[in-house]
Amino acid sequence: MRCKWYWLITSVIVFISGCEPTTNEESIFNDGLVYCSEGSPTSFNPQLVTSGTTIDATTRQLYNRLIDFNRDNYQLEASLARSWHVTNDGTMITFYLRKDVQFHQTRYFTPSRNLNADDVIFSFQRILDKTHPFYQSVRGNFPFFQSINFEQLVTNIEKIDDYTIRFKLNQPDASFLSNVGAPFAVILSKEYADQLLSEDDPAVLPMLDSLPIGTGPFKFNEYRSNALIRFQRNENYWAHDVGIETLIFNITPNNTGRLTKLLTNECDVISYPIAPQEIRSRENLRLEEVTSFNVAFMAFNTSKPPFDNPVVRKAVSLAVNREAIINAVYFDQAEIAHSLLPSASWAYDKPSELLPYAPEQAKLLLQDAGLSEGFTLDLWAMPVQRAYNPNAMKMAKLIRSDLGKIGINVNIITYEWTTFLGKLANSEHQAVLIGWAADHPDPDNFFSPLLSCSSARSGSNRSFWCNQNFDDLLAKALLTRNNKKRREYYLQAQELLTEELPLLPIAHAKRAQAKVETVQGNILAPFGGISFADTKKVTKEEN
Amino acid sequence: MARDKIYIEEEFPAPMKQLWLTFKSTPVAIWALGCYVLLLLLAVFGPLLSPHSAMENNLDMLLMPPAWHVDGNISYLLGTDDLGRDMLSRLIQGTSLTFGLSIIVVILALVIGVVIGSISALSRGVKASLLTHFLDVVLSMPSLLLAIIIVAILGPGLTNVLWAIGLVLIPQFIHITRNAIKEEQKKGYVLIPILDGASELRVLVTSIYPNIIDKIIIQATLAQSAAILDIAALGFLGLGAPVALPEWGSMLANSLDLFYIAPWTTYLPGLAILIAVVVTNLVGEGFRHSLKLQKEN
Amino acid sequence: MFSFALRRLNLLFFTLLMLTLVAFSLNYFFPGSPIVNMTGLVNASDAELATYEQMYHMDQSLFFQYLAYLKEIFSGNFGVSMSTQSPISEELVTYLPATIELSLAALFLAMLFGIPLGFIAAIFHNKGADKTILVIAMVGYSLPVFWLALILILVFAIILPWFPSSGQINLLFEIEQVTGFKLIDILLSDSPYRWQAFLDALKHLVLPAIAVAVAPMTIFIRLARTSMLEVLESNYIKAARAKGLSNLKIIYHHGIRNALVRIIRDMGLQFANLMTLAMIAEVIFDWQGAGSWLIDSIFQRDYTAIQGGLIALASFTFLINIFADFIYAALNPVERYARHGT
Repeated sequence: MRCKWYWLITSVIVFISGCEPTTNEESIFNDGLVYCSEGSPTSFNPQLVTSGTTIDATTRQLYNRLIDFNRDNYQLEASLARSWHVTNDGTMITFYLRKDVQFHQTRYFTPSRNLNADDVIFSFQRILDKTHPFYQSVRGNFPFFQSINFEQLVTNIEKIDDYTIRFKLNQPDASFLSNVGAPFAVILSKEYADQLLSEDDPAVLPMLDSLPIGTGPFKFNEYRSNALIRFQRNENYWAHDVGIETLIFNITPNNTGRLTKLLTNECDVISYPIAPQEIRSRENLRLEEVTSFNVAFMAFNTSKPPFDNPVVRKAVSLAVNREAIINAVYFDQAEIAHSLLPSASWAYDKPSELLPYAPEQAKLLLQDAGLSEGFTLDLWAMPVQRAYNPNAMKMAKLIRSDLGKIGINVNIITYEWTTFLGKLANSEHQAVLIGWAADHPDPDNFFSPLLSCSSARSGSNRSFWCNQNFDDLLAKALLTRNNKKRREYYLQAQELLTEELPLLPIAHAKRAQAKVETVQGNILAPFGGISFADTKKVTKEEN
Repeated sequence: MARDKIYIEEEFPAPMKQLWLTFKSTPVAIWALGCYVLLLLLAVFGPLLSPHSAMENNLDMLLMPPAWHVDGNISYLLGTDDLGRDMLSRLIQGTSLTFGLSIIVVILALVIGVVIGSISALSRGVKASLLTHFLDVVLSMPSLLLAIIIVAILGPGLTNVLWAIGLVLIPQFIHITRNAIKEEQKKGYVLIPILDGASELRVLVTSIYPNIIDKIIIQATLAQSAAILDIAALGFLGLGAPVALPEWGSMLANSLDLFYIAPWTTYLPGLAILIAVVVTNLVGEGFRHSLKLQKEN
Repeated sequence: MFSFALRRLNLLFFTLLMLTLVAFSLNYFFPGSPIVNMTGLVNASDAELATYEQMYHMDQSLFFQYLAYLKEIFSGNFGVSMSTQSPISEELVTYLPATIELSLAALFLAMLFGIPLGFIAAIFHNKGADKTILVIAMVGYSLPVFWLALILILVFAIILPWFPSSGQINLLFEIEQVTGFKLIDILLSDSPYRWQAFLDALKHLVLPAIAVAVAPMTIFIRLARTSMLEVLESNYIKAARAKGLSNLKIIYHHGIRNALVRIIRDMGLQFANLMTLAMIAEVIFDWQGAGSWLIDSIFQRDYTAIQGGLIALASFTFLINIFADFIYAALNPVERYARHGT
């Protein structure tokens, strides 16, 4: 007993006196990086999700895609496919694969061969083939691919040889390559899938998506929901050496909590920092921003009253003071959205008529719609912060006071994120504050996943708005490879949206991130989430 | 015609009056009582007294620091929050939510608890034994844990929080009433009206209640300080008042994001809670102290 | 002693009966079908649910349903969490130890500082020291734990970078979970960084433990003060004093020991109180314990988790109470006969 006490007291003294770290400990801290993320991923396979948090945690850490986007000029570049070829009629696309790509070796899987055409075909077949066991293991839930009508578009995927594959399309699709480069189109291991199938137990099939195997710079090690994800360096990464030994995603939904952890150096990098002034004022911290293709909007659920009436949608849209929102919610780090498309997109053009802030006109419109008494509106505000909307709750409060002025009584409703998304997809909301971060620079990515009829069925269309004219315009735009014509169609589509207002675009924001100065290398990318592949920690002397 | 005093009259003030007399002689207790009454007034007349609206956004006055700060503005004495709402007005109106509701909850719990406690003190047998067991179980659990459990069952919301806290407090009052009544029943003075043929109820109301009311009041102050903390804690956890209401606990939780850029939005609601609880506890402590002094004399 | 134990066990039985009855009836009060609420299988097919309905005797009367439910609960089957689909019992085994660890650390601190301060206050009864200590106790007792936690983080993690602000350990240390008690797990692990990890975990424990300990500490101050005052006024102390023993000796030999016995009586109750405070502190300190888990479950309307958490937390605090009662009874024989049924 006495010796125990002695031991306890010495330990207390040692740690109070600051406990100089030994060399061992330093190596742990120098090769390891803690990233404080804003939420739990919903899966470890991006094929199954649309949420940005999941993309951040999976796509560029665990996987690769056939092709990728250049960080600077947004052009397509080689990745797992070293080159590709599109036939003149645009219906046949051939990919030539790299031969030196190894899958992760982990405690639950040891690959016996390198990546080949079978893996690529498997990764896409599971999405296309309704009888595929791995289609059924997730009940065919591939929201991104459904929203772009992938299964109707692709007629066949053909294996030319072990390292060559050819996609055959129903019709030319200008956004096809961009979609294959989207963060959802990752390549899985067929060998791993076969290993799971051989266990002959349907209960193990979902492990393909929860215990991931990929080709990316990091291997999956451990996940504790709402707490952390632990990644380990992939020593055999095909592209280059990886600078970080242990990568931790510390899940910290609380904004202040994340900032606090950065200030106390418990996190090396944090997502969506609040209080940029505070971070800029500290010498050892860096604030980074990247123009990001995104939009925050208020989606009206057009499948039920009162928002089935375009006049009511217009009235509410006129009554929202978006300039005040940019000021109070984004601290001016964003611009008012005049369209779903950000102005940096090549398909954007300033609409002929900008939507003003006009509460008086809004009142008149409400009278026209027979709602001069006003009504009670359940406004859903997403519980997490995103680049496009750092604080939906605050935005909701501002909108509540705006709408109060035209007699609409707003209830703000929110749930935990996963529940929230589930209920949205079930169309339980009246109106919701949410947004979209583009997966790739193609303009189609703003329209099809958000407002097409097929996305209304898959639930990612938060307005549940389905307009045949609009869908036709999108389809026509995809059929042509002439960008001038495509732009023409997208402009018409945007005009249609300004008239119909199934959703009110609010803001295009920059995505920010804060880190300690010793972390070097790009992390933020304009598309497809973050990447720690090129990141490393340097000691102060090297800096 | 004045009657002559034919014997030396010895005055026996009622227990409550005795308590008050001793209470009055402790300066700290009197101060605390003064503050308590002030809080009570704020709770009742808060909306009339507050300089600005507590709910209305004011986008020209976002995150104004308190008046003593260089950038402060005297008409916003304690500054504003991230939606430009005056902190002072919000704190004042929060009094009626956090402090005011705690009083209402305690009074309701007290009435129900005293009634059940009296009934159980007069009854015997299986029913009483069941109740004892029940009380033992409930009392052995911390009030906040029980409140969280009840809110978990009822679902979040201010009304549910009040129900939960009320339900949690009732057993304490049952317990104290029952024990106090049993104790009094053993005393001689109760025997006299019984021998006179008074009904049990009459004995209870006329003889016993006046002698145990001091204990119940002390329990009530204890219960109230717990109730304030519990309402605030549940509000802080987001299980209580909706975000817009200026309940102190949820104000604090909402201002967490501003912890670094506008610290006053965080520490002011916390201070308000602290002051309300200290004042309530001091009043209770004053009563307890007086009761002890009386016993000693 | 035997009848004392019997009475306590009787009480335990009654409690469990009540708890399970409440939990069972919740399945019917919560929205959704009772069988889904019991098992948490939100994605299950009708056929799967049918087998579970059989298991829970859903076709029979409520009484038999309850019995089946009891059987599952006592065999450790609380169903699976509606949000994560992992067994509640596993989640409890993961999260409850963290809460207990924090509570124990806080209990240790609260007693370490509370009891001596209480004794000092009693020894200097009605003097300056006594009054100062009482003022501290009053303020400490009135501090909302969540606010105190924020202030502690601001002062001791940010302004003075002495302690980490959150979590149980720097996540770069990879410690395998065996018992769920972080400190024990670290000592059990074969990590080459065991010693650093242990120190790191201790550092992480400091701020949350202080935040949780403050309110109970003030209660220990009052308890210790009152007990010591009572002891000092009792006849045996007067006798000792008459014998000419020095004040210090009296306090050391008689006062402290006898006062401590009284304090132990309330330790059980205080531990339950500590657990509740710990639950709130967990939310702020990002401590992966039962408190933040339960509160998350409430938000996510994860009814199976709420039920499991209710049964586990309530019965645990109750067990601790009974345990403390037994210790007290063992130390103080008089109590075995007098205390119950008043």
